[in-house]
Amino acid sequence: MRDNTMSTETTGPDITSRPSGRAARERMYRYVLLLCAAASILVTVSIVVLLARDAVTFFTLVNPVDFFTGTEFLISRNVYGLLPLLSGTLLVTVISAVIALPTGVAAAVYLSEYASDQMRSVLKPGLEILAGIPTVVYGIFALVYVTPFLQAIGLPVNTFNILSASIMVGIMIIPMVSSLSEDAMSAVPDSLRRAGYGMGATKFEVTTGVVVPAAASGIFSSFILALSRAIGETMIVVVAAGSRPRMLNLSDPLANLFQGYQPMTAAMVQINSADSVSQLGFTSLFAIGLTLFVITFLLNLLSNRIAARYREEYE
Amino acid sequence: MATRKPETGWHGENSDVNHLRGRAFEATCLALTAFGLVSVMLLLLFVANDAFRPLSADVGWLATYAVTVVVPLAALAVYYYRLDEPAGEVAYVASGLPVVGLLLTGGFAVLFTELLSVLEWFALLISLVAAAGLIVAHGRLRPKAALERLVVVLLAPVVTVFGLPPTRFNWLVTDAAAALGLDFGLYYRVISLREAIMLLPFVPTDWVMLLLTLVLPAAGAAGWFVEQRRESRRDGLAVVGLTTVAAVLGVVAGPLLGIGADVWLLVVTFAVLPLGVYVEGVLRRGEGVRGLAFPVVAVLGVVAGSLITGALGFAGPDPWLDWGFLTSATSRTAADAGIYPSMVGSVMMIIVIVLTAFPVGVGAAIYLEEYAPSQGLMGKFVTLIEINIGNLAGVPSVVYGLLGLALFIRVLQWPQGSIIVAGLAVGLLILPIVIISAQEAIRSVPDSFRQASYGMGATRWQTIRQVVLPEALPGILTGTILALGRAIGETAPLLMIGAAASVRLAPNSFFDVGSMMPRQIFSWSSELEPAFRHGVLAAGVITLLAVLLVMNATAIVIRNRYQRTG
Repeated sequence: MRDNTMSTETTGPDITSRPSGRAARERMYRYVLLLCAAASILVTVSIVVLLARDAVTFFTLVNPVDFFTGTEFLISRNVYGLLPLLSGTLLVTVISAVIALPTGVAAAVYLSEYASDQMRSVLKPGLEILAGIPTVVYGIFALVYVTPFLQAIGLPVNTFNILSASIMVGIMIIPMVSSLSEDAMSAVPDSLRRAGYGMGATKFEVTTGVVVPAAASGIFSSFILALSRAIGETMIVVVAAGSRPRMLNLSDPLANLFQGYQPMTAAMVQINSADSVSQLGFTSLFAIGLTLFVITFLLNLLSNRIAARYREEYE
Repeated sequence: MATRKPETGWHGENSDVNHLRGRAFEATCLALTAFGLVSVMLLLLFVANDAFRPLSADVGWLATYAVTVVVPLAALAVYYYRLDEPAGEVAYVASGLPVVGLLLTGGFAVLFTELLSVLEWFALLISLVAAAGLIVAHGRLRPKAALERLVVVLLAPVVTVFGLPPTRFNWLVTDAAAALGLDFGLYYRVISLREAIMLLPFVPTDWVMLLLTLVLPAAGAAGWFVEQRRESRRDGLAVVGLTTVAAVLGVVAGPLLGIGADVWLLVVTFAVLPLGVYVEGVLRRGEGVRGLAFPVVAVLGVVAGSLITGALGFAGPDPWLDWGFLTSATSRTAADAGIYPSMVGSVMMIIVIVLTAFPVGVGAAIYLEEYAPSQGLMGKFVTLIEINIGNLAGVPSVVYGLLGLALFIRVLQWPQGSIIVAGLAVGLLILPIVIISAQEAIRSVPDSFRQASYGMGATRWQTIRQVVLPEALPGILTGTILALGRAIGETAPLLMIGAAASVRLAPNSFFDVGSMMPRQIFSWSSELEPAFRHGVLAAGVITLLAVLLVMNATAIVIRNRYQRTG
């Protein structure tokens, strides 16, 4: 099969001791390695194809408009409305963003502008540890320790509530915001800072007036990535946020925090582990999964776009 | 307060006010940086308290150990930090090595009790060595036949490990064997070398096989390493000899102390040997020798503490996380519940991941860094791959679980919740992480190395194998260990592919349904009983975190030791 190509390769001058077959072998390694690299494309394709396959089955039986605008999600009665699940996901995302975005940026500012080398060598690996703790452990923290704590300080939270789950999601995504934002701030050229000092600005003014605006696109891209992570977070909400799909109560926004919700990811886990689920109910799993995949994929793409733009600015 | 004069409006004029504002800002930033860290540390303290229950011990017990262990170690740590930093590094590694070694020992012990007998391991290893021998021999005898070698490379392991499927030729062989009075019990199939070894009427005892297949190769590797380092063949041989003597002595003396021969050999291979080589290196370099005091003081302190508390009759704490928890299966009663079967599941899942995601990930990284063209159609394809890998790293883990469910269970019809499916699903999840970290490691190898290699007439593959990969290996290992840490803790994919909530018996095949540590912990989290919620659950969390801590510490040590400076 390869005799033909082999003979052409061996016509060149031989300077090594075992020339023949080497070119064929080299080519073989190349193709094997290419196959490895192409496997990642295969993963994406199979995610899309396999999720879409069952999602299409689902959408032939349930009107997509009903699915995306329905306000009730009850598998036992074959009612599939995405909005209650989206409400849960939205709440988790917003609350965790309120916690993680300011904290993460502040941490990035401190690490990049203020921290001594010694402080950095403690704080930076410390923040990385936050990202390395398994999410099921965060979920247990929320359920077993944070919720009783919130009850102890007088908040009317249920055993399963969105607030403690979201606090933990927020803490989990802090390192994502801080490390990417810090990278962006470190990429701001020192000449900009010196120009600021040259104008007589204080360190505070240089930091808030020069460095942060110059790194804005990087910071923003880290925000989007962190939000995408919060949207896709599963175990924390499965353990601590309860299993009741519920619509947002717009008349009393604060009361929302203390109730249990079921975000999309938690609903997927519940549908999959339920004992008796109709075929239609089971395929709804893939419709929700595909929606989740598309949302996070688009957010990641957007984040990459923004990050790529800011890189061009200084190089 | 400073008043502003219109004629001298330079920017930093009212600087006393600005100072205050700047200080406040810095303090706020620091507080926010510490917020996440401090809250998680507090939560960890609560969990650790629930798992170990130190307050259930007598005051005298706590005081004794504080005096014999905590105070001396703290004093040493302060001394290292203040005065002798190299010694601190030595102390860190010398205390960590035995821990990692014992963890590996535990892993292999689990492997030999649950997955394959020592004889099976022995046969498998001998067959693989034979296959490698065949390939090398073919390379020597017929160096020019590349295609032939491809066939040999593919066939040799098949013949030695799996045997040949039934063909007409095999009938002749088995019939001939039968005519000679040999009955292998496997008609119409040429049995492999592995099976032949298993059928041998007499086999060496377990410890001899372990000595041959584990201790001696490890000792040989260590001996080679020492020989290279000291440029003395005698020292290398001394290492091999000493290790063998220690192993055999332990096997002979072990039963007196209640240590099984197999366990002792594993301890020698994974804990004693690396520690010995490391200590020897430290002593010879003479740098940070005082760091060796740390583990010695720790061990002496524990021994002294246990003697004193034993003599004075102080009762120790009654922790949830104890030996019984690590070695028994879960149970309805909290006091009997343990994590052992799911630990076995996690270990086996890691084996699947290491055998699948690791080679594919490193292969992809090599292609992207060393081969990938930057122009033309292929260049565009490569860019697509790179973007795609970045995006895959951000796909939620539950979606990977859904992929595993759809691909392996619904399409390929593999058993639901089996360990191989779990390993592959989580392997897909960490694949992008492995690729990205391996890429970084390969990229950090200076180009001059490659050019030097090409200049010597090496081909691209030779350059990669002999120059780039050895240089990049520490980085690749660091990234992979961190990714494996991530894999051990992942739960959502396990839920989606239907891993068992808990299993009573440890799985003993990759196609068995298994539970893994985080999956088991999750199923405990739905128990309402306080003994579970504040006891068993906490013990499980601490076990999982301890495994992660050891893995991450190992990765950091590798990174620090081999980090390319400048």
